[in-house]
Amino acid sequence: MDDRSLIARVQAGDPGAERLLYDRHVGGVYRLAYRMTGDTDLAREYTQETFIRAFERIEQFRGDAALGTWIRTIAGTVVLNGLRKVKRFRQREVELDEGVAHAVTPRSAEPDLKERLEQAIEGLPTKYRMVFVMHDVEGYTHEEIGAALGMPAGTSKAQLFRARARLREALSDFAGEWAS
Amino acid sequence: MSDDRFEEFLREAAEHYHVPPEVPREDMWIAIAEARRRSVRRTRRPDWRAWGIGIAAALAIGVGIGRISVGARPLVPVASAPTPAGEAPGIPVAYQVATADHLGRVEVFLTGFRADARSGRTGTDVTPDARDLLATTRLLLDSPVSDDFVLRDLLEDVELVLTQIAQYSGRPDSSELGLIDDSIDQRSVLFRLHSATDATPDGMPYQGAL
Repeated sequence: MDDRSLIARVQAGDPGAERLLYDRHVGGVYRLAYRMTGDTDLAREYTQETFIRAFERIEQFRGDAALGTWIRTIAGTVVLNGLRKVKRFRQREVELDEGVAHAVTPRSAEPDLKERLEQAIEGLPTKYRMVFVMHDVEGYTHEEIGAALGMPAGTSKAQLFRARARLREALSDFAGEWAS
Repeated sequence: MSDDRFEEFLREAAEHYHVPPEVPREDMWIAIAEARRRSVRRTRRPDWRAWGIGIAAALAIGVGIGRISVGARPLVPVASAPTPAGEAPGIPVAYQVATADHLGRVEVFLTGFRADARSGRTGTDVTPDARDLLATTRLLLDSPVSDDFVLRDLLEDVELVLTQIAQYSGRPDSSELGLIDDSIDQRSVLFRLHSATDATPDGMPYQGAL
């Protein structure tokens, strides 16, 4: 069933079509939410909220964009807003996690590349991180990112460039890894 | 070192960043369907809100009048009528569910505690449960749930009562039980808990409060 027929059936209240729409897109939404949060509960919450909103607003969907793009737009908004809301809690969690890590990790141990990269990505401004994760990790195009985050593709490119520059700087100790 | 090599390296390394687990499709679908069902019920039956407020207010006034007439207890301020169905702007669904579940457990615990206290069967065995519930109450107070002033007010009162119970010495002849009882009464905690968790006409426990 193509998107147009699927949307028409969902708009008509067909529960089977709703489930089909969900099945087609839930994987991508959940992956993005999890990549951004690193937390199964938050990923679930954001994914659920995305589809609740999508079904609530499906009547307004006129097919100007692809269905996947439209759902990603909702997901992008939900994830970014959600991350802002829970920022305080996330910071607390990170502090607690760091406290535990310090308690069990020998002082002499240097963070390995994976750990340093994770810290560097976490340290990016949320929108840069979103663009980086969508492009370099999940493989979205700049056009798709721009549509999902409500900005021109050029802005997505610029933000990715800045994100990479920050990561390069943060990972300068490991330059040999990519220079060799 | 070229940009291309760094980008290639970065892409490969970043693949391991927050690798998603298996998608919990069915669980999320059930939660979505449930949330939508509640939403449809709210949309179709908005008159329940008025009924909910009216019933809660009538009960609160009735309790107040009863207390004046028997003179056994001081008049307490009318309990805040819990916000009816659909009045949880901005509170994520997961928090709503967690709050409803928690308030239900607190209600059961306090009801049991009171019954035991009045029959002289209360001991320190209640304090671990009170501490657990207190910890959850404080987590909720520090969550987006506290943006709802009615819920925050209720949770703060629950926190006070649970703190008292968590510190209970277990001496039946002390005045502690009386103070706890008064705390429950003076802020109509049980009544508000009951209204918040169970007073909805359609049986969805958290809709009465959230």
